[in-house]
Amino acid sequence: MSIDKEESVKKLFTAESAQVDTNKGDAYYDELYISCQKRIEELKKLKPLNNRVDFTESIEDQGLERRDFLKWASATTAMLMLPASFTPLVAEAAVLMNRVPVIWVELSDCAGNSEALLRSDGPKIDEIILDIISLEFHETLQAASGHQAEKQMDEAMEHFKGKYLLFVEGAVPLGMNGQFGTIGAKGETFVDHLHRAAEGAAAVVAVGSCATYGGIPAAAPNPTDSVGVMDVVKGKPIINIPACPANPSNMVGVILHFVLTGTIPELDSLLRPKFAFGYRIHDNCERRAHFDAGEYVEEWGDEGAKNNFCLYKVGCKGPMTFNNCSIIRYNEGVNWPIGVGRGCIGCSEPDFWDKYAYERPMSNANIKAPTGGVEKTVDEFGLGLLTAAGIGIGIHAAASAVAGKREDGGEY
Amino acid sequence: MKDKPGYVQVKRRTGAMRIIHWVNVISMIAAIITGLYIAAPYYQALIADPAVDKYVMAWNRWVHFIVAIIFDVTSIIVFYLTFFSRVDRPWGKVIPNKQNLSEFVEVLLNLLTLNRRKKFNSEHNDSFNITFFFIFHFLMIWMLLTGLQMYVHGLESGISSIGAWWPWMLHLVTDWTLPVSSWMVGSTATGANIMDVRIAHHTTMWLLITWVVFHIYYQFWRTIFWKEGDISIIVGGSKYVKIKEDEEA
Ligand code: SF4
Ligand code: SF4
Repeated sequence: MSIDKEESVKKLFTAESAQVDTNKGDAYYDELYISCQKRIEELKKLKPLNNRVDFTESIEDQGLERRDFLKWASATTAMLMLPASFTPLVAEAAVLMNRVPVIWVELSDCAGNSEALLRSDGPKIDEIILDIISLEFHETLQAASGHQAEKQMDEAMEHFKGKYLLFVEGAVPLGMNGQFGTIGAKGETFVDHLHRAAEGAAAVVAVGSCATYGGIPAAAPNPTDSVGVMDVVKGKPIINIPACPANPSNMVGVILHFVLTGTIPELDSLLRPKFAFGYRIHDNCERRAHFDAGEYVEEWGDEGAKNNFCLYKVGCKGPMTFNNCSIIRYNEGVNWPIGVGRGCIGCSEPDFWDKYAYERPMSNANIKAPTGGVEKTVDEFGLGLLTAAGIGIGIHAAASAVAGKREDGGEY
Repeated sequence: MKDKPGYVQVKRRTGAMRIIHWVNVISMIAAIITGLYIAAPYYQALIADPAVDKYVMAWNRWVHFIVAIIFDVTSIIVFYLTFFSRVDRPWGKVIPNKQNLSEFVEVLLNLLTLNRRKKFNSEHNDSFNITFFFIFHFLMIWMLLTGLQMYVHGLESGISSIGAWWPWMLHLVTDWTLPVSSWMVGSTATGANIMDVRIAHHTTMWLLITWVVFHIYYQFWRTIFWKEGDISIIVGGSKYVKIKEDEEA
């Protein structure tokens, strides 16, 4: 990483905290309420895009009750850090989500975020909502391919110019003039594809760690020169939803926030929405008491593991990771990595693959040199340094002693 | 204090400076012991311990933080003394002018020729030693700022019991260590990450330990071979320099 090109670093100096001020005063919320109401009235006048299914119907089809839906709406209102009085608005906004067009492009990725968005043990409200958002274009999901697909994307971009949300999944390879990744019948490079798609977007949402920071494709030695979206797209509002995969609840949160207010949520210095990434895993982890007590799982399956001890010594990076999975968990709150006895690998932080994803504490882990050179642990390096110093001192001391003896009775 | 015949006593350190030195020594040992535990807990909490005093990691972190604060305070005092001390004002010796450079080379030659050549005034602190201490203070400041960056990283709420100014100030003073660490460690990702600061902090500990090893050796070596009682500078506050024959009369 070069220091100068870092937008995010510049932002660091202006960032105040990861906390969303949830006490902005009645006047602020009253005004926001009215403006949200207005926006919803306007959206209601629009026809649902693409003949999408009616939301209320699809909920009933899936055997969920309206009561469940309202419970979900109030939980989501809290997640977005809005007062409870906003719950009916959030519920309405959810129903209107098929009025906001979304274009989804995939670059260097594994489609894991798309998978996360679609798969679950049974359709739950988050997933249903993602089903009914007006996904105008999604390479992996749509039936069209080749020229047809390209035409569809062009049309969608033209038709919804300035209105659509662009979701980007995957890193952007810049090496070899971007030739590491091309798409479509014309062999457009990923970079050009992204630039073209971002052009008319109202905002760009980077989902997953690859789109956010370059992720796995950018891991050492980064042969394709991959970078995250925020290094490529300039002059557009960018929202990052990192994690591997990004939590569907957070995607829904961002879309809902946009539908409801027409604006993007408050962001931290890495452009992550604070409502989701303002929490440190470690601070909300159920094993934290064991951490403070010094009770650690020493190896997989030992007595400590059976007693749910802290996973720090088997590599948990919760103390350095910001994400809300320790609170909202995955798959509608079923469980999350630390809950199943695996340490956090810091998937929502930059460079997680090289610097976080190992099953040891940092000082005992082999850290890859950025050039792909020798892997060493920090402690090995330090002990090597100390040994070298010790040998040097030993030689000098021995030589001094011999020389000193010869000089005895001499000048000094 | 009576002078040894043929030797003159040179006052080198005030009581306060000596106390600071030994406070730093103790703080540093404590910081290393606790720091290594925080990095990778190397002893196990006794599982049979009653729950009430099981707070091993928390204590380690507490001690680590307290010695860091002590170090902070002594650093500020040392910084002040570097410029305004009554006894030794070493700041002038790090300026790379001709006189200092030649003194630096002479002291280095003295060390390398195993004390066969000694063509500099060893009464006061020389350029070589001062530069060596300068490196130490530089590493220490880096240690303090990276440490505080990791500390404020966990204060993500932006609030603290002494007010919001505290994390705000820490962000202001230490946030630059993030991109600098990422650059040093060599990050290929977009965006700076806190792990690089941790790696830099931990690596710097090893540099400091190596520094200390050489420091102790060198001060012993001087004492033994120069025969000027250098070691007592940091204990008694002064050393002895032999009066040259021609000056004695
Ligand atoms: S398991 Fe991880 S996140 Fe939880 S307390 Fe231990 S180190 Fe922190
Ligand atoms: S626990 Fe850590 S690695 Fe796992 S999903 Fe959450 S942030 Fe990512």
